Amino acid sequence: MPFSAGFLGGVPAVMLGTVLVGGAALYSAGTVRVAVHEKKPGGTNISLALPAAAVPLALKFVPDRRLQNLPPEMRAFLPAIQIAGRELAGYPDVTLVQVENPHEKVSIVKRGGSLVIDVDSRRETVHVSFPLRIVAAVARDLETSAPAN
Amino acid sequence: MKKILSGTLLLGLLLATAALAADQERWLHVSVKKTAPHNENVLVNVPLSLAEKVLPAINVHRLRNGKLMVHHRAMDHVDLRALLEAVRTTRDSEFVTVQSDHQNVRVAKAGGYLLVNVRESRSKKHPREGEPAKPEAPKTVDVRIPFPVVEALLSGDKNELNILAAVRALSAHGDIVLVTVNDKSESARIWIDSKNTGE
Repeated sequence: MPFSAGFLGGVPAVMLGTVLVGGAALYSAGTVRVAVHEKKPGGTNISLALPAAAVPLALKFVPDRRLQNLPPEMRAFLPAIQIAGRELAGYPDVTLVQVENPHEKVSIVKRGGSLVIDVDSRRETVHVSFPLRIVAAVARDLETSAPAN
Repeated sequence: MKKILSGTLLLGLLLATAALAADQERWLHVSVKKTAPHNENVLVNVPLSLAEKVLPAINVHRLRNGKLMVHHRAMDHVDLRALLEAVRTTRDSEFVTVQSDHQNVRVAKAGGYLLVNVRESRSKKHPREGEPAKPEAPKTVDVRIPFPVVEALLSGDKNELNILAAVRALSAHGDIVLVTVNDKSESARIWIDSKNTGE
């Protein structure tokens, strides 16, 4: 009896510890953020924050036949995207691409360990940021889903 | 006391060397500014060492393993390497000068660089009746490539340009403006330096 009582008493602690460790692991993997704001009155506002660790996991639930339908042009760049995603994190923060014209402003920035994409047009603003580490993982998963011919 | 001072100096030298090494990353910058038909600015900043790592992994169309396949009939009858070697070993001079009513082209060698300068003079396209065509600001194109980069570019097989080797040669070079284009409504610049900003 004392044994089972002690054992049962330890289960909540184990569960709590698992949640804390799992949460810490998810948090340390970074966050994918997506925000879309339509500038018209009553426009749509979308804001998402997902653990980055969930993205490769979510990809595993996508049927292979969907992944195999990637355009060949994009598939050909997957090895390069893997390398870029892996290596870029080691560089200082930098604006990689910036385009400005009367219709929109687009920027792709490496900031900390993330890639940040911002689009500001007359109709809407879009913000996407994701940890660079998941770029290599996703590109690798896409490449192995159906290797290039 | 002397030992402590020597050790401190040595440590300082090592730290300074490490700091210098960290700052030696070379960046490729591309800047395009347009004022017509509307204002537009484009800026691209890429670390050359990243380009070195990524290029071999790009295998699309004619770009394979960092080399660009070039197929042109005229290339079959020209030994670019022999031509380059001849140019490299001669003293600084102009090799090609083309002058016409609307365009002047100059190819020269100076100070270890291959220079290409183009000047286009243009007249206003639709002058009013009876008015003479007014000359507009000329379009200028200036290309300045270090010879080691040109040699690296031609270091592959006959029908290919070794882009990867050229990027490596650029990384070893100092700050340089490679291409400058200016005309009435557009200016463009491609340059290499050690800053991660395009300013």
